[in-house]
Amino acid sequence: MKITILNGEPDSASSFDAYVHEVATRMATSGHDVETIELRDLDIKGCSGCWGCWAKTPGECVKRDDTEQTCRAIVDSDLVVLASPMTMGFTSALLKRMADQMIPLVHPYGQIEGGEMHHRPRYEHYSLMGLLLGAGPDTDAEDIEITQKMWSRTARNLKTRLAFTSVSDRPAKEVAHEFATVA
Amino acid sequence: MSSLLLLNGSPRGTRSNSMKMLSRVGEGWVRGGGAEPEVLHLALERDRARAAEAFGAADTVVLGMPLYADSMPGLVMGFIETLAPFVGRGENPRLGFLVQSGFPEALHSRPLERYLAKFATRLGCEYAGTVVRPGGEVLQVMPDRANKKLWESLRSVGASLVVGAFDPVVLSRIAGKERLSPTMVRVMSLAEKAPVTEFYWNGLLKKNGAWDKRFDAPYASA
Repeated sequence: MKITILNGEPDSASSFDAYVHEVATRMATSGHDVETIELRDLDIKGCSGCWGCWAKTPGECVKRDDTEQTCRAIVDSDLVVLASPMTMGFTSALLKRMADQMIPLVHPYGQIEGGEMHHRPRYEHYSLMGLLLGAGPDTDAEDIEITQKMWSRTARNLKTRLAFTSVSDRPAKEVAHEFATVA
Repeated sequence: MSSLLLLNGSPRGTRSNSMKMLSRVGEGWVRGGGAEPEVLHLALERDRARAAEAFGAADTVVLGMPLYADSMPGLVMGFIETLAPFVGRGENPRLGFLVQSGFPEALHSRPLERYLAKFATRLGCEYAGTVVRPGGEVLQVMPDRANKKLWESLRSVGASLVVGAFDPVVLSRIAGKERLSPTMVRVMSLAEKAPVTEFYWNGLLKKNGAWDKRFDAPYASA
């Protein structure tokens, strides 16, 4: 199984960053093809709402930055794990800036799904998604629930689903096993 | 007189739908007796650098944004991260929000609204409410005079802010349809297309000479 971890931890020296890498190593040890993309090292220009990816260069951001890699990961992996520490009740701005630039993966055209308007797919395959969250000192159950809800909707508009959410207070071994069996 | 700070969280900056809406909230605030509001655009580097400080100094703040990939734009989350030192400060401003989305239904913005309400509480701010407006991209296409009712509702929201929180009746009027009616769902599902959306995007694609590339899938594996 091909698993891509999009690591949205801005601080390479944090304990959560070490935890993310431990989860990655354990999944690789079980025989999965695991790649970790460190978002902090990428050139992410940020979506400016220009609609270029929908109406000028369909399927690609006009800014031609490193989000090409993260978009590719969504269509050529079986599972994409979004990893991020919780700050002010949500995932990092770094992770969100990357996710804003995933809209070239779908069409601007709409379609009805479950009685709601959503985007139409551009690809046949989209990877499953999972959330790996690093709880902060002020993180509570409601923060996790709200965060999960927003990312579930993001996943839905990316023509996939959020298959699991895991918080860093659990042993990496257990989490790695669970991630690898869910997809 | 108490002060109002309008924070425009749209990555499009001054030419955004969020700003069009925020400026009407500001007009209503002045009409209700408030002082001329200060406006900062998070998309402009110079404004962004002063945004946290201005937030701390204002009596009331309204932070407006478009819905991006089902939550706040990364730009806005970056600003939120800079407010961490304000948690529990004790004299934070009253805080309201405005969220506009391109979807036809309000329900898409509700999880973000929930986050924003919790965020205000986390800061220890008095929460004034969130204006939710779907169908926002229409504002770029239609002339301003065609949206008179919306502007007036937004002014009325701004005026209510001078004396208290946003008026829930007006908020519900601005939000419009929470979800599509069963009839709309049937019609759109049968057509397998959303004709209005198609018309708009096809026009742009043709204008840009990108019509033949509209179904391109550059990341598909060979």
